[in-house]
Amino acid sequence: MNNGERKEKPMQVLLVEDSPGDVRLTREAFQQTNPAMRLHVAADGVEAMAFLRQEDGKEDAPRPDLILLDLNMPKMDGRQVLAHIKADENLKTIPTVILTTSEADIDIAKSYQLNANCYLNKPVELDAFENLVKSINEFWLTMAKLPQHEN
Amino acid sequence: MKTSSRSNRRAQLAFGSAIFALLLVSAVSYRGIVVSGASERWVRHSHQVLQTLQDLRFAIASLQSNCRGFVLTGEEPFLLAYQSSGLRMRQDQTALRELTADNPEQRRRLPLLESLGNQEIEHAEMVMDHRRKQGMESAISAMRNRPDQQIVGDFQTVIGQVQDEEMRLLILRNEDAQRHLRQIKMLLVLGTVLGLMMAAAAAWDIRRRNSGRGQAEEALRDSEEKYRMLLDGVQDHAIFMLDPQGQIMSWNAGAGRIQGYASEEIIGRNFSCFFPEEDIQRGRPAAVLAIAASSGRHEEQSMRVRKDGSRFLANVTCTALLEPGGTLRGFSEVSRDLSESKESGAKYRGLLEAAPDAMVVVNPAGEIVLLNVQAEKHFGYRRDELVGQKVKNIIPEGFAERLIADGTRSAAEALAQQIGTGIELSGRRKDGSEFPIEIMLSPLESAEGTLITAAIRDISIRKNAERHLAQMEGRYRGLLEAAPDAMVVVNPAGEIVLLNVQAEKQFGYRRDELVGQQVKNVIPEGFAERLIADGTRSAAEALAQQIGTGIELSGRRKDGSEFPIEIMLSPLESAEGTLITAAIRDISVRKTAERHLAQMEGRYRGLLEAAPDAMVVVNPAGEIVLLNVQAEKQFGYRRDELVGQRVKNIIPEGFAERLIADALRSAEDALAQQIGTGIELSGRRKDGSEFPIEIMLSPLASVEGTLVTAAVRDITTRKKAEASLLEKVEELNRSNEELGQFAYIASHDLQEPLRMVASYTQLLSRRYKGKLDSDADEFIAFAVDGASRMQRLIQDLLAYSRVGTKGKELLDTSGEEALQHALVNLRGAIEASGAQVTHDALPDVLADEMQLIQLFQNLVGNAIKYQRAETPRVHISAVRKDGKEWIFSVQDNGLGIDSQYFEKIFGMFQRLHKREEFAGTGIGLAICKKIAERHGGTITVESQVGQGSTFRFALAGSQDKL
Repeated sequence: MNNGERKEKPMQVLLVEDSPGDVRLTREAFQQTNPAMRLHVAADGVEAMAFLRQEDGKEDAPRPDLILLDLNMPKMDGRQVLAHIKADENLKTIPTVILTTSEADIDIAKSYQLNANCYLNKPVELDAFENLVKSINEFWLTMAKLPQHEN
Repeated sequence: MKTSSRSNRRAQLAFGSAIFALLLVSAVSYRGIVVSGASERWVRHSHQVLQTLQDLRFAIASLQSNCRGFVLTGEEPFLLAYQSSGLRMRQDQTALRELTADNPEQRRRLPLLESLGNQEIEHAEMVMDHRRKQGMESAISAMRNRPDQQIVGDFQTVIGQVQDEEMRLLILRNEDAQRHLRQIKMLLVLGTVLGLMMAAAAAWDIRRRNSGRGQAEEALRDSEEKYRMLLDGVQDHAIFMLDPQGQIMSWNAGAGRIQGYASEEIIGRNFSCFFPEEDIQRGRPAAVLAIAASSGRHEEQSMRVRKDGSRFLANVTCTALLEPGGTLRGFSEVSRDLSESKESGAKYRGLLEAAPDAMVVVNPAGEIVLLNVQAEKHFGYRRDELVGQKVKNIIPEGFAERLIADGTRSAAEALAQQIGTGIELSGRRKDGSEFPIEIMLSPLESAEGTLITAAIRDISIRKNAERHLAQMEGRYRGLLEAAPDAMVVVNPAGEIVLLNVQAEKQFGYRRDELVGQQVKNVIPEGFAERLIADGTRSAAEALAQQIGTGIELSGRRKDGSEFPIEIMLSPLESAEGTLITAAIRDISVRKTAERHLAQMEGRYRGLLEAAPDAMVVVNPAGEIVLLNVQAEKQFGYRRDELVGQRVKNIIPEGFAERLIADALRSAEDALAQQIGTGIELSGRRKDGSEFPIEIMLSPLASVEGTLVTAAVRDITTRKKAEASLLEKVEELNRSNEELGQFAYIASHDLQEPLRMVASYTQLLSRRYKGKLDSDADEFIAFAVDGASRMQRLIQDLLAYSRVGTKGKELLDTSGEEALQHALVNLRGAIEASGAQVTHDALPDVLADEMQLIQLFQNLVGNAIKYQRAETPRVHISAVRKDGKEWIFSVQDNGLGIDSQYFEKIFGMFQRLHKREEFAGTGIGLAICKKIAERHGGTITVESQVGQGSTFRFALAGSQDKL
């Protein structure tokens, strides 16, 4: 039984990404694989925190089921966002997946240390990217059991 | 006599020459005066001529003026004056003619002069005539019409010429006269001086002779007087002179008294008349003279005969008188009548008693008639015990036999043979003991006949000494012979008196060839000069200077060859004076060794000096004993400043500690540990600055023990180079890192925008394919393609740069596993192509695993990819090379490569095929090459088009397996 059967509510995904190009690609890719999913976007760490904490004009932001987090962003970068999320009692239960072009071992290590749920490399080629998004959807939004929460 | 005549002649000669000189002088001066007189005269003559000429001048002038005067005034005085002038003129001319009678030259001019004079007179007459007859006006016009200036002028000119000529003559004659005068003077002076000198010399010489002779004569007369007085004063002795034949030349009062003859009676007679008849028969007088002549003097006591025939015993001394040249002039005889002196016997006795030797008088029968107290002592008898005894009792053998008349000769004859010789015999004392004696005999005439006086000397001490000496000599000779060196004994005259057998051998002579030779013959230089007495010092002094020192000289063998010797001298006292003993050692071997050593030393020193490094030799005490010029330069010291210094002063640490003997080990051990290693230390220069050095040590055996030779190399440059290299390496590393980072960052940052381009163009292509026109499709297709290729290029570039920057340390890697891994990665391609991949057992190698996998992957991947129709077959193998390396081979049956591309294919982004034919960026082999080079090897290809290719690369074998 998948989440789609249990709940009729569509999945909420927060994409924290500063590159509009990447945002659109991600949106298109998700559109292909899971049109029902609602993709929210935060352009930087500050917006992301506001969204998650439902403050600063984002009071009616829904609680996402999954956070896709880029690392290299202006103002507050992904690492800090991750740290904040995993420090927040309320937020830390939301699966946070790092999605970044960086392959640096140090980034991988740091991310897991900060309790990232998963670290993914953004592929260079489009096809590969679309496959990855498909995989994320399949794994996290279909197969993985996510914690229930009050909305 | 001769001398006087000689001197007379000389005197005569001297005087003669003096007188001759004087005469010569007079003659010469007389001639001189005569000549001088003549020239004087000539001078005067010239003067006269000149005067006459002058007068003539004047005459014609006054003539002319007087004429003019008359013309003007017409008065008588002028006329008279004119006439007198004319007269004078004529007179002068006449005089001139006379005076120049000897001089044709001058004479020549005279006629002209006369004619001119006459002309003038004519003119004057004419003018005056005019005056007289026609008055002044007419005279004046006549003067004007016929001027006489020319005449007068010419006249004066001619006079002038004559004058000049005469002047010239005058000067010459003057000179002549002067010269003559001078000559005379000189001759006079010289001659006189010479004459005086000779006279003086002669006079002085004569005086000297005369005075000398006079003195000598006087002296002679004086001494004659004295001698006469002396002779006549002696009454006891007959003193007279004989000529060589024995004729009596002089007589004295004593002789007259003793012999009984008066001088007039005896002078001129032969002295043999004083001898007894029997002696004359025997020829004794002549014999006496002969003995005296040969030995210079003869004394005897024998009988003489007086004038009256009576005989007496006389003591006669006959002495030969010799000229300075040695010829016999005659004899002097001094005789004394013994019998008349009563005291003579007593005197004789007194003498005997006082004699230091034992004196024994023996009669012709061999009996002792007289002896002295010494004889008593020597023989241990009392006088009365010996008198009358046979002399045989005290001198058992040798005396009597020699001296007693026997059948063959008379006592006198026997005696005569023995006189004067010291005979060694043996004397016997009263107690029977014998002792060596030496006897000297002399005859003693007496009324009883010829007695023999024997002077007996106890020579026991001397004998002992002689024996001792002989013993010593024997011993000494033994030592000499046994000496290992040649020993030569030289006397003060430089002659060899003694030598030993070694000397014979060394010099190659026999003993007898050298004894008596000058030592110069075997030691040409250096011996005699040093040791023989010369003007500056005695032999003993010379020797004293040389004792004890070994002197190096040159010895000469009999065959003439020379060899180096060393002599040591010592003095040896002997009866012949101070002899010099020289010990001579042949040092040729030593000399050769020395020379060799010096040569070696020179060579060694040469090597040392020439060495490019600084060389320092240190003794076991840590002091510098030797260094070369490089050391001077490096350390900034002068050689003398370093020798003897502690090596610590130039190498503060590290040298001494390593090498000086300490309690733990000896210098040799210490050294042994350090030989051959180059040790890096710090050297300190004179100015205190330090610089890095590397020292290499080696031992040097010497008489001083084991020395350490250190080659010191200034490694400042090397150190700098090393430091520089290190710096560069660091820089390179840094640079590499930066480059890697750069490459990484560059390609990473490039990826981002590229990803956008590529992704969106693909999206475009996907969504709008067919919706736009075909051009758009084509355009989009190219854009997509371009972007994709660019992405791939960047990825490959990144991969290539990572080979260097992300390269890991080379570790033990299993070749097998790496290959397997690569094949796993190529699984897809292998399955798709159906390729057959085989391999031999692969070794363990030193490699970066990731890169080795990459390498295999690329090569095998290529092998599979570049195929046409056939099934790809790939074989991987490895062979050992040189025991250390493994050569891996990847062989395929693919397309093959044209040999002209063998180099090219390993270049970056180089492709041999079109994109449509085979995919790929062309970086694969470049990456392989970089990996191979990173592993210390290269990658090569062997290929034939259509046959296939074999790629080879080398890897170092794993250490463990070696």
